[in-house]
Amino acid sequence: MHTLISQFWQLTFSGAVQGFIYILISLGYTMVYGVLRMINFANSEIFMVGTFATIVVSRDILGHQPNSGDLHGFTLIYSMLFCLIASMLASGITAVIVELVAYRRLRSRGTNRLAPLISAIGMSIVLSESVSLLTAGRATIAPEMLHKSSLFTVLGANIRVDQLLVFIVAPIMFFGLQRFVNHTRLGKGIRAVSMNEETAKLMGVNLNRVISITFLIGGLMTGAAAFFFETVYEATKFNIGFNIGIAAFTAAVLGGIGNIRGAFVGGLTLGLLETYASAVLGSQWKAITVFVVLVLVLLVRPNGLFGEAIQQSRV
Amino acid sequence: MTPAGCMFAYKRNIRKVYMNKKTKLGVALVAVASLVTGGAIATSAHAATYKYYIAYQGPLTGDNKQTGLDEIAGVKYALALYNKANPKAQVGLKQVDDQGSGPGASVVAPGTAKDKSILAIVGPAFSGASVASFPYYKAAGLPLVSPSATRVTLTDPSSTDFGGPVFHRLPSKDDKQGPALAKYAIQGVKSPVVYTVNDQSSYGTGLDGYVQSALKALGHAAVGTDSVDGTNTTLDFSATISKIKDSKTNVVIYSGYYAQAAGFVKQLRNAGFTGIFASGDGTYDPGFIDGAGDAAEGARLTASSAVFQDAGKAISADFKKVTGNAPGTYATEDFDAANIILTCIKKGNTTRAKIQKCINTGTFTGLMGNTIKFDKNGDTAGAGFINAFLVTGGAIISKGQI
Repeated sequence: MHTLISQFWQLTFSGAVQGFIYILISLGYTMVYGVLRMINFANSEIFMVGTFATIVVSRDILGHQPNSGDLHGFTLIYSMLFCLIASMLASGITAVIVELVAYRRLRSRGTNRLAPLISAIGMSIVLSESVSLLTAGRATIAPEMLHKSSLFTVLGANIRVDQLLVFIVAPIMFFGLQRFVNHTRLGKGIRAVSMNEETAKLMGVNLNRVISITFLIGGLMTGAAAFFFETVYEATKFNIGFNIGIAAFTAAVLGGIGNIRGAFVGGLTLGLLETYASAVLGSQWKAITVFVVLVLVLLVRPNGLFGEAIQQSRV
Repeated sequence: MTPAGCMFAYKRNIRKVYMNKKTKLGVALVAVASLVTGGAIATSAHAATYKYYIAYQGPLTGDNKQTGLDEIAGVKYALALYNKANPKAQVGLKQVDDQGSGPGASVVAPGTAKDKSILAIVGPAFSGASVASFPYYKAAGLPLVSPSATRVTLTDPSSTDFGGPVFHRLPSKDDKQGPALAKYAIQGVKSPVVYTVNDQSSYGTGLDGYVQSALKALGHAAVGTDSVDGTNTTLDFSATISKIKDSKTNVVIYSGYYAQAAGFVKQLRNAGFTGIFASGDGTYDPGFIDGAGDAAEGARLTASSAVFQDAGKAISADFKKVTGNAPGTYATEDFDAANIILTCIKKGNTTRAKIQKCINTGTFTGLMGNTIKFDKNGDTAGAGFINAFLVTGGAIISKGQI
């Protein structure tokens, strides 16, 4: 308890950074759920692919080595931008492929709702085991591009440059996405499919295209999260997506799955809660606390904090 | 996977009438896939056949396969050297994948025990898997030499975990390492304030327990302790680090494996911690320095083992040439364990019972020129040497025994 009080702002800042990473990944779950009413179990591996894309670009294409020294100025900016775009694209393309392989064909054949879930789990195993074979199951270390220097201290909290970057850029991406969904023609299409698939089809919305784009956007956001994750933690492994995927999925459910604002609140709540729980009870209690809170929230609000009861909203 | 695959196939069979060629192909693929994944846990043999085999048992798939792959490379290298020197009496290797877990081991151990061509096993690698395997190997009289199972009870005759008479191991027990690590960590530190961290693995919590009681005995009981997620899939240690900073600690002792330790120490140093970072043999690996970079500098490590690379550049290069990988965690112990068995085979012991007797009574020479002899419970006689190491200039430098 003492730590929570004396290090409150430090914990809050770290928890928020973690939360923003969760938010971006949980968009991958929530967007897909919004249009398909199905959970994309492969999203954790879409994240994993993004972390590896960041490393491959910075290490093998740009030639930075782990511990070869930090980058500065123009080199730093273009390296980071290049990695961010590569990570987003790699995850986005993987998401589209997952949709094509695991969902579209089964959907067009009118299978029951469980079949695509199983095929998505299958895709997830294929992705993680393939990377496991390629990397011999080892952790892969990312080159340190951004020196983890502490910028300034606010209310006793040490603000580090890499964390600040996530703290600023991740919310911008989130609100950008929200604007896109709310104000563009494509975004309207996504919302229309989400509200009522049949009617949207009758109104001339190209269903397959909208679903592909939804997967793409979810993947792009998850890829951005993967880039931020590598910027802060600088390591990855074939099974890196497992825990963080569960956390992001939990965040989506907590906020109300299918709801974009819900993902924001859920992710942030989860990040803070985990950090506070670790500080008060010990890190081994982190997961327990999170799930106890999740169950309690669902008991009171079965559709999550921002979720609407689907039946009601359609009446 | 197998039951799910079968069920899928079963359901499809019921609806046979509607099945076209493509779905048949799909069913076949699922069946093959389930065979492949189900088969991953079974023993596998090399294509060439030999009269006698030794086996390696450890995690070759699953989350801990990194350790298993590093270990089996040491066995393969020892075997390659042996077979080159004894072209007429070559010995084969069988791979037993227990995934590093008790349940995994109880699936593969019965078959391994029954396979009469296997004379002895290098392994099991992990303590939990060892305990689950013991009943089968004891019944079959199959001798074991483990390179890395360090749980204290495995060689304690009063414990139900006891693996004697078939079980032998090379590493020192954690009850020897814990006190040495505690002593080394606070060496030369004025008024040490110690915080301990473990990775929740059975190795990490066990070692942490011994470290804590040793600290108490030294009069510097830990001011706090925390457990982090050791699966290496959660890399955020900010809460633990906040606690460490809050407690005004100047010595942190981490009990866990190197990949996680590297991330931990990096974040600890980034958060401005300037005290001592110390860790045990789980962190004693070149991978720790690769992962942590500058943050590894000054880290104090203990291990009852020796880095394979210390045996010389030529042999390390040859190791890489033969196995495809540079020597990794426990490579030295695996190399020694395999050589102990191979030495016995070379002396003409070609039954399990004879090899068992040879291991129990023989005196062997390790890679580093050290003498290896086992006591009646399966520990190395006179074991208890723990080496101290200091990370200096990006290398793990030996500081002699502690």
